[in-house]
Amino acid sequence: MISKTEFTQEKVVVAVSVGLFILFSFLLSGFFSASNLIGLIRNISILGILGVGMGIVIIGRGIDLSMVSILAISAAFFIEMLNAGIPLTGSFFIALCFVLLIGIVNGVLIAYGEIPPIFATLAMGLFVYGYGRSQIMSADVAYVPDEYTDLLDLGTLKPLGVPIEVYIFVAVCIVAWFFLRKTKYGHYTYYIGDNYEAARNVGIPVRPMIVLQYALSALFAAIAGAIVAGTILSLNTRIVNSTLLYDVILIVVLGGIGLSGGKGGVSNVIFGALLIGILVNGMTIMDLEQTHQNLIKALILLVVVILDTIFNQRNEQTEKQGDI
Amino acid sequence: MTTVLRMEKISKEYRGVKAVQAVDFDLEQGELHSILGENGAGKSTLTKLMAGVIEPSSGEIFVNNQKVEFQSPSEALNMGIAMVFQETSLVPSMTVAQNLFLGNERFLNSLRRINIQAQQFLQSLNFTVSPTALVMSLGAAQRQMLEIARAVRLNANILIFDEPTASLTPEEKKHLFSLIQRLQKSGVSVIFISHALEESLQISDRITVLRDGEKIFTKPTHDLDRNKVVQAMIGRSLSYSIGQTRKQQDIRLSGKKILSVQGLSMGNLVKNNSFSVFSGQVTTIFGLVGSGRTETAKIISGIYKRDFARGGQVDFQGRTIRYRVPSKAVSDGIVYVTEDRKNEGFFDKMTVGENLYSGYLSSKTHNGLSVSMREMRDISKLWIEKVSIKAINDNANVVELSGGNQQKTVIGKTLIQKPELCFFDEPTRGVDVSAIDEIHELIGNLADSGLAVIVISSYLPEVRKISDRILVCRQGRIVEEFSPANVSDKDIMFAAVH
Repeated sequence: MISKTEFTQEKVVVAVSVGLFILFSFLLSGFFSASNLIGLIRNISILGILGVGMGIVIIGRGIDLSMVSILAISAAFFIEMLNAGIPLTGSFFIALCFVLLIGIVNGVLIAYGEIPPIFATLAMGLFVYGYGRSQIMSADVAYVPDEYTDLLDLGTLKPLGVPIEVYIFVAVCIVAWFFLRKTKYGHYTYYIGDNYEAARNVGIPVRPMIVLQYALSALFAAIAGAIVAGTILSLNTRIVNSTLLYDVILIVVLGGIGLSGGKGGVSNVIFGALLIGILVNGMTIMDLEQTHQNLIKALILLVVVILDTIFNQRNEQTEKQGDI
Repeated sequence: MTTVLRMEKISKEYRGVKAVQAVDFDLEQGELHSILGENGAGKSTLTKLMAGVIEPSSGEIFVNNQKVEFQSPSEALNMGIAMVFQETSLVPSMTVAQNLFLGNERFLNSLRRINIQAQQFLQSLNFTVSPTALVMSLGAAQRQMLEIARAVRLNANILIFDEPTASLTPEEKKHLFSLIQRLQKSGVSVIFISHALEESLQISDRITVLRDGEKIFTKPTHDLDRNKVVQAMIGRSLSYSIGQTRKQQDIRLSGKKILSVQGLSMGNLVKNNSFSVFSGQVTTIFGLVGSGRTETAKIISGIYKRDFARGGQVDFQGRTIRYRVPSKAVSDGIVYVTEDRKNEGFFDKMTVGENLYSGYLSSKTHNGLSVSMREMRDISKLWIEKVSIKAINDNANVVELSGGNQQKTVIGKTLIQKPELCFFDEPTRGVDVSAIDEIHELIGNLADSGLAVIVISSYLPEVRKISDRILVCRQGRIVEEFSPANVSDKDIMFAAVH
């Protein structure tokens, strides 16, 4: 949990972020302004919420590729239920159960069915998206019905001038941090990610824990979905085909949560998200094309990962089968 | 007779530990030469040196009177030395013919061509297996014979076998031996490592016995019998305090019967195993590798599952138990300290404190959901002292510690759980000499405090030093029980070898 290496990936990312922040503040007019910085955090909050969910799963040495499908279809399902005239609370609980069910099925497939997480969640993601598009929705986009627009409009909620999604992101971070650091089950997640066999032998209920992890990531995906739908009062399911999922994995890995599990925390997700947020914001102000932005993101990821392998070299002692 | 392989004063050190010390060895053409010794006597190291898997620290190797220095197994293979591995190195999803030609396919590989060539070649060895059969459909013996065929095809004239018969049925063994004998007649020399004494005495021409990395003797088999070989294998120099035998009055009396196992079975590894364990005593299970000791312990502590039907019965404290997962066993007070601490013992990305805390968190002594750093520090401080882990502080990473301190960390995290029955599987394997005594003392203290302690060990001096009761395991079941006061090493060894 506590890395004692002098030069960690986390520090590299923070240093690069601070460097970019200072650089952009001096070079780009309009970067260092309250409205731009609030916008910056707002932009990364969806990514960050997904990243926190993904982070928990990756700490437990898994991966959840179904998160973006869950995001899209859970929100769309909720909206479609409202459109069908089901009352608000009823729709909410049905949608919540739907999300938890997907997460639990993911976890059961992985923990009890012993299917590698990458396949189980890939299949689940495709299934959820396919099911939602073919059975629940008639079009790509679901619109919140008019009678609920006032109630569900999150876009206009700005306590103290800060958009509501920033508060939700902060709340999600606090909840996840509390889970990982302050509860028994959070610690179990680290032990399982570090060494599954050892965790099992010491008496940790490893399989229920894995189910819990995937239920949590599904829940966080649904929260992100609620924000997406609430701020624009509609949900376009084509988000599933975007690069969002890769961006989520990007910030988690960039922040320093290794795919081999057992290390990192919420702060790593925040650092990773901030770096990408600052970078994208600066590049947008510079008016760089999307394709060039992707190129720079890719280079940053490679540099950080290479630096990590240089500074945290694996050797016979720490190497284990299944390390990625 | 010509000598095909000679080793002079060969030594191999691993980080200061001598695995093989100044051993002279020679192999003649067409002979079958057995190398015998206890676990850790240096047999495997010696053969790996011959096959170029590892390089010697000092000493010289001659093949056909020509000095060689192998950098890799392929160089040894070029000189005609091939090793047939215990875990076979075949590709299961490919056919027999493809495996036979693995690594020397032509650029344009024709399956038909290699099938025909393989057929002819296998027939010349009188080894009947279809070249188009998939390797995964073959039995253990056929796989091993295929490996031999592969080595012969590469013109190997020295074949090294590491425990070739461990996983074979008697029928398969006969097939393997007849193939080996045919090869011998055609001038191939064979080196044979085995735990099975009878086998070695039956088929080999000469026998070399190793002990603690040193050669005891090389003698023609007709000058030897089982007795002499066993004596040579165990007659150990008393290098340190280990090796002292226990006096009758030191032996702890058995407390109440805490565990009773009847007819425990799991596949081929544990067969109809029955025994009892008493509290306040150290019970050791002695046996050779593969005798089913570890599996028995793992079944009882919920790590493995026994056979569903006719798996036997386990009673713990008068209650019949059958665990599906270790966590239930832990909460009932049965814990297992692994022999493989790197892969299933400690958490290598974490500190000593976090490792120790894992045991506390998953035990029934920890209530509720919340955890705290202060609690972790208090607990780890207490247990670092209790099991005397020598680390700078509880924040030291566990991988940075010595083997002994890693082992103490694993033991500590298990003892935190307040067990009533504790399995120690090879507790001093890979542990520095100074820590061995401390771990032995720790185990003794546990028994004094009323725990039922079961130690699995294949190291006779350790067994004799710490046990109050000795059980011997052979081929998946406990076959004999001894009291440590009036038993000789020879008796124990006799019971363990088959």
